[in-house]
Amino acid sequence: MQTRSLLYRIVAAATLAAAVLCAPRAALAVPSFARQTGMACEACHTVFPELTHFGRVFKANGYVLDNVKQVQDVNSKRDQLLELAQIPALSIMVQASYTQLKKPLPDLANVSIPGEAQNGTAAFPQQLSLFYAGKIAPHLGAFVQITYGNDSGTIGIDNTDLRFADTKLLPDAQTLTYGLSLNNNPTVTDLWNSTPAFGYPYAASNAVVSPLAGTQIDGALAQNVAGLSAYLYWNESLYAELGGYRSAQQGAANQLTGAAGPLDGSASNVISGVSPYWRVAYERNWGRHSLEVGAYGLDVKLFPGGSPGATVPLSGPVNRFRDVAEDFQYQYVADEHLFTFAGTRIHESMDLGASFAGGASANPSDDLTTTRLWATYYYRRQVGGTLQYFSTTGSTDTALYPGPTPGSAGVVTSASGSPDTRGWVAEVNYLPWLNTKISAQYTRYTKFNGGSSNYDGVGRSAGDNSAWYLLLWFAY
Amino acid sequence: MSARAELRHLLALIAGTFTCVALAGSAYADEPDAAAAAHARQLAVAVCGTCHGVQGNSQQPKFPRLAGQGASYLGAQLRNFRAQTRGDPDAISYMWGMASALNDETIDALAQYYTHQSAGRVPVRDAALVASGRSIYEKGLPDKGVPPCAGCHGSDAHGVADFPRLAGQHSQYILKQLASFQSNMRNVAAMHGVAVNLRTPEMEAVAAYLQGLP
Ligand code: HEC
Ligand code: HEC
Repeated sequence: MQTRSLLYRIVAAATLAAAVLCAPRAALAVPSFARQTGMACEACHTVFPELTHFGRVFKANGYVLDNVKQVQDVNSKRDQLLELAQIPALSIMVQASYTQLKKPLPDLANVSIPGEAQNGTAAFPQQLSLFYAGKIAPHLGAFVQITYGNDSGTIGIDNTDLRFADTKLLPDAQTLTYGLSLNNNPTVTDLWNSTPAFGYPYAASNAVVSPLAGTQIDGALAQNVAGLSAYLYWNESLYAELGGYRSAQQGAANQLTGAAGPLDGSASNVISGVSPYWRVAYERNWGRHSLEVGAYGLDVKLFPGGSPGATVPLSGPVNRFRDVAEDFQYQYVADEHLFTFAGTRIHESMDLGASFAGGASANPSDDLTTTRLWATYYYRRQVGGTLQYFSTTGSTDTALYPGPTPGSAGVVTSASGSPDTRGWVAEVNYLPWLNTKISAQYTRYTKFNGGSSNYDGVGRSAGDNSAWYLLLWFAY
Repeated sequence: MSARAELRHLLALIAGTFTCVALAGSAYADEPDAAAAAHARQLAVAVCGTCHGVQGNSQQPKFPRLAGQGASYLGAQLRNFRAQTRGDPDAISYMWGMASALNDETIDALAQYYTHQSAGRVPVRDAALVASGRSIYEKGLPDKGVPPCAGCHGSDAHGVADFPRLAGQHSQYILKQLASFQSNMRNVAAMHGVAVNLRTPEMEAVAAYLQGLP
């Protein structure tokens, strides 16, 4: 009975979660942490969601530091059985936005009457999230985000990070923090804002055209994997993490039973076995400065699989993606001026055995390199801005990055078969309060899917995908 | 004096000496018990230490150095934060929360932990600034009615009884506190009287002098 009802509940929960396929979304640390610690946002953030040194240590310690009254239960030896904060660690977050593309998109609704889709997309909300973010028990904390997104029109699981952590004192007043994280997005565990999950841009429009190519570690697996990782953080300075991810797809159904699993050939991009994730970083703090340099990577084997109705067995050849990345982050944190300079370069080697055999890629192996560099400045945590350079370059592959078919509208095609995309993001922000951000962001593409003009083979140029994005973002 | 009276006198003397010794040791008499000390050490290193430095010699000038600070002053400040009576901006943003759940025993043990750490200092290069700061510290500004700081904080600025140690403290922190005393955000009559007539360049000079002191 026990197992059955548990199973029943898991299936029910999975079915609920399956109602949506989540695209990677922005996330942030949240006011429930401030409520729990009694400290203002500025203790942990320069400006949300970027973390300060103290914020990183708080995260490494499993989100458990608390200074609020606890409901306790102890046994006869006064061992602790329960310690519950009197206020639950709940937060909500809202993003409302407006997006204007430089050039409208073609309207596909009626191909016989060529027209344009409406330009200027209001999103209200773009995203509405509920968080449980804080301590669960001594040494056990959680950052769980559930999001309604206007793209899916439903509620789904977003970034999730459940942690166990503890800190041991070593001789000479050194510390060793160690922990385990159960999470659903490679790099969501990371402490620095130079890695993909919490890297810049912290918020982006979902009503724009996305380039064809992106590396696996750069959000491709977000919310569709379950990972367990173990980490060590020595003297708040040297960090090492090792973990493994396995597919935990949202919205997949077994074709035979209709249940949420096991995954079969109707699912696409299923991880074969477990994908190892690794991370090393070194941070040094002096005066008002903090500098981090590090590296991280992921090795994923994917069964290309099929889609409902077009089954490809989950056996035989796989596509293998080996991502190796370097990153750095420099922060200057003072009361008046705050400055951040950060960046990452992700290199991906692809062995496309499965895709090549099936004709889905033109080469047996390809590679892809994504680089992002950005600088952020804030005055008194109130007004500021960020300038970012981004670029993706890689092998030309006419099957992976295909051109337009006759009569197609293009836009998401590549005339040259090249994934190369390059551009800038400029953003200005105003924070009337520390939990409310108003931003105007402009993304300018100088190259898109391999070309500057007529990149798609149907006459659209890279600059046409440039866009304004106005955002109101707050969390409570 | 009878032999008996003499004996009583002697006994009284011995008892007196004992009391005296006990009183003299009273600074150490409220040594926390081992469990409280261990708990305080864990907190100090693993929690407070992220901001204040594991041994109380913070790197970031926003976070005051606590190493070698007087125990009674530290205890009093933690109680002020807990009671939310110390109202300067960073006290509100940071320490009201951090101190809100500390009990008296832990506060006293934390104070003992920091008072027993050896204080560091941050070198200052501007010799002229330091010299004028030193003069204010030792002599005050008599024409403006600013008393010598040394009178209360000690000639070496190591603190005296409840008057805090200032030697080796970050100059930015000292400046912020002087401004808060002046505006009464940190409401302490003794220091308001001292700071009210200080101008910013004078505060900067005395802060620079203090930061460089061993
Ligand atoms: C997130 C950073 C942070 C943490 C963690 C923190 N503090 Fe502080 N603390 C500060 C700041 C900032 C100030 C300065 C407040 C001001 O300017 O009034 C301060 C001030 C103090 C002071 C007053 C010093 C003085 O010279 O008057 C004491 C005492 C103190 N903290 C003790 C502690 C203890 C004990 C802990 C751990 C239980 C702790 N702090 C944890 C940031 C922190
Ligand atoms: C009449 C005695 C007196 C004099 C003179 C005096 N102080 Fe103080 N000072 C105090 C007391 C008492 C405190 C502790 C206040 C409290 O309890 O919050 C203090 C605190 C301070 C603090 C805050 C220390 C900390 O760690 O937060 C600074 C900075 C300071 N004094 C600087 C000075 C300077 C500079 C001068 C000389 C210009 C000076 N004081 C002269 C009594 C004095």
